[in-house]
Amino acid sequence: MAASITDIRSAAAELRGIVGDRYVIHRPEDLIVFEYDGSVDRAMPQLVVLPATPEEVSRVLATAHRYGLPVVARGAGTGLSGGAVAEEGGIVLALTRMTRILAIDPADQVAVVEPGVVNVDVTAATSDYGLYYAPDPSSQAACTIGGNIAENSGGPHCLAYGVTTNHVLGMEVALADGSVHWLGGMTREAPGYDLRGIVIGSEGTLAVATKVIVRLLRQPEAVRTLLAIYKEIGQASAAVSGIIGAGVVPAAIEMMDHLCIRAVEPAVNAGYPEGAGAVLLVEVDGLRETVEEESEEVERICRSHNPMEIRTAADADERARLWAGRKGVLGALGRLAPNYYLVDGTIPRTKLPEVLASIGEISDQYGLPIANLLHAGDGNLHPSILFDERDADQLSRTMAAGGDILKLCVDSGGALSGEHGIGIEKQEYMPLMFNDDDMGAMARLDPAFGANGMLNPGKVFPTGKDRTHVSHSAPVALTGAGAYI
Amino acid sequence: MQAGRDYEIEEIRPQYEARPDDVAGIADALRFANTGEFSVVTWGGGTRIGLGNIPTGYDMALDVTGLDRIVDHTPGDLTATVEAGITVAALQEALGRHGQFLAVDPPLPDRATLGGTLAVGASGPLKWQYGSIRDTVIGMKVVQADGTVTKSGGQVVKNVSGFDMARMHIGALGTLGVIAEVSLKLTPRPAGEATVLAGFDRSRPCLDAALGLFRSGMMPLALAVFDAQAERRMGTRGPRNTVAEGGWRLAVRLGGRPRTLDRQVRESRAATGGAEADVLGADDAAPLWRALSDFGWDQATRPMLGFRANVTPSGVASLIEGIEGIEHTDGLDPAVVAHPAHGTVLASWLGDGSVRAPIPGILDRMWDLASQTGGHLVVEQAPLAARAGIDVWGGMVGPDTVARNLKTQFDPNGILNPGRSAGNI
Repeated sequence: MAASITDIRSAAAELRGIVGDRYVIHRPEDLIVFEYDGSVDRAMPQLVVLPATPEEVSRVLATAHRYGLPVVARGAGTGLSGGAVAEEGGIVLALTRMTRILAIDPADQVAVVEPGVVNVDVTAATSDYGLYYAPDPSSQAACTIGGNIAENSGGPHCLAYGVTTNHVLGMEVALADGSVHWLGGMTREAPGYDLRGIVIGSEGTLAVATKVIVRLLRQPEAVRTLLAIYKEIGQASAAVSGIIGAGVVPAAIEMMDHLCIRAVEPAVNAGYPEGAGAVLLVEVDGLRETVEEESEEVERICRSHNPMEIRTAADADERARLWAGRKGVLGALGRLAPNYYLVDGTIPRTKLPEVLASIGEISDQYGLPIANLLHAGDGNLHPSILFDERDADQLSRTMAAGGDILKLCVDSGGALSGEHGIGIEKQEYMPLMFNDDDMGAMARLDPAFGANGMLNPGKVFPTGKDRTHVSHSAPVALTGAGAYI
Repeated sequence: MQAGRDYEIEEIRPQYEARPDDVAGIADALRFANTGEFSVVTWGGGTRIGLGNIPTGYDMALDVTGLDRIVDHTPGDLTATVEAGITVAALQEALGRHGQFLAVDPPLPDRATLGGTLAVGASGPLKWQYGSIRDTVIGMKVVQADGTVTKSGGQVVKNVSGFDMARMHIGALGTLGVIAEVSLKLTPRPAGEATVLAGFDRSRPCLDAALGLFRSGMMPLALAVFDAQAERRMGTRGPRNTVAEGGWRLAVRLGGRPRTLDRQVRESRAATGGAEADVLGADDAAPLWRALSDFGWDQATRPMLGFRANVTPSGVASLIEGIEGIEHTDGLDPAVVAHPAHGTVLASWLGDGSVRAPIPGILDRMWDLASQTGGHLVVEQAPLAARAGIDVWGGMVGPDTVARNLKTQFDPNGILNPGRSAGNI
């Protein structure tokens, strides 16, 4: 649905008048930077516009609306499902210049930020008040609050603290026609439909956030991390069930399997013993007494499942060492294979042992190693299929195995995506979870917000395109070095 | 049909009544209504059925209390899927057998259904620490106005597959669809509980103490303040030693394992009044917390005129001082309960109905006070005459067109609880 060259030229001229010459990008060699995000998908926008203020966002949208040009809002481009890829061309609205923290109110524990503010910068700006912003996607040093809103991002610590929608009180948004509105606000409740809650997680298809009111939490007084190493992944899974069963909800429970351990050990020298089949990382935070009591309980449970070794950390340096192995896994997978395809799915956590066994069978069936990295506490799996993209057959087996894993998640009572979103990557899998009526209801939000298919078009819903085979015309990164989970 | 229910709202009785016992039955009833363009009000326990604007039409009562089953509860997953007509108390009892609960405490749980509680969207004192009732829902099955059954979300706690449609229905008063089945995120029950109860001679120091705790590192399950009139209305469920006229109470509900609880009790006492503060065990404090949840909705505290204001935590004290400044008339007695950490103020005027003249003046004053503090005000209870011609929600927050478009998209014939939501949608 590409607009004519004449239209693009005259739209570009108008847009330059709004944001300035420097901030309308149109040369192919410059546009190519905006062709992709953290996913495998690529598409070339016709223009990239970088507004500096909500007023400019509004005017850019109004202009695009008049020309009938699709608009794809983009933050840092760290997304893993193609959410920031201009699938149908048009304008990429890059919000990375809107990085102001407009207000911090320690008394009410809120901050007002622009959408281009990097996630971790909210915490950096509020830490002097003893506050922080809880959602912590692994890309938090790069990803933006606006992008977090689009994807309803979570993170390792969302087990206890929830995801983006639980921490955004309100936001100013621009709709497709450029009109600007507040959804929610400074108060914890507001009458009327929860439009704020509808827009968060709508993958940029309904509105563009221009200001965001985030809720801040008080920094925990104490944090303790425990690492338990097991011979078998079943023991680690049983320990997770034990912890939850005991009424403890730790801040995070992370797990990795033997392939992850094999990859990461030579890379970061974490000192995992020979024969380790699973590493479990449990973090407890809160009041000093809570941390003591809960970590005693966690340690008791972990010990009862016959660990090879248990390590604990109470200060920041020790904690960083325990987390180093976990955080180094994705980078280290390159030691095992040239490429990996990182799958994101969720299952009920009690199904962990059987689902991991089934993933093992999928691995055998396709002849591809699969390394499992898990946010085990909330059942969010990240199986990483290891392959070599230069081998066309391996590539197609990889994509098929990824599809089988998603089907397995759904069949186990789980979901297609725990935190990466549907975007382009999983749109064809939506019918595994939702029937036409379910998706029909979701699709009615678009006209209600006046988006009429012009905001981030071609995403989320199935289009019938074959996604099980990735084109070779472009090099396939399948989640490259820039990816985080 | 349930014997003894007359389904009356604002002196209107519906022409049709339906009480299905499964989702297909809801769909049948809605198809019938949609075809005939009959207006439908969905009924749960009816505890807050009067909330909202005066309906612009009411032809059919759709009673969903027949859908009261627990479809699935997997304790190890801390999740459950239940039908919307189950009462909150029945659900809590079943979950409690596994040391778990749904972390919300709405009014009148013995009668209030989960679906009705979600449609109303407001929960109780526990909201601050555990979050809004919106945050407990991980999946939802809804019957659309035309009878189509749709679902969103799922049965897992972490899920970004498809749009978060449940959020649209929570707080929408059944104007966009009928909630039929809900998947929920559960919470382990705290290992132990205690409540610190302190008395103050005025509202300001009481709120200062409450907000001091809100801003401290303590993690109370709930923080509530209430005035002497509210305390008196709670009767035997309220504190044993009553506070003097004009005085205020702060109740701090704490939870955790023994050492956590000890520390929190110690610090909460220090923050709220030292040795003067009483400490109640979980059982002794349970009636008080029940009374605080029920406040404004049970027989003893149901007001002639009741408001819910939502302001910022730091706006609560000045709003309350403004309310205290409203001129008093005998026979219409004010009472205030507030949850300062989430900025909720429940202000009510109790009376037998014989004194009504001051009501319009109080309404005007309350709208002014709420807008001065930058908050929202909802008229939850008022005599029919006082509500005629006003939007009890204080009008639409956010883009009016989007809300109206949602209604047109999801209920094109306008049959679902018409007129009752914000903006008279």
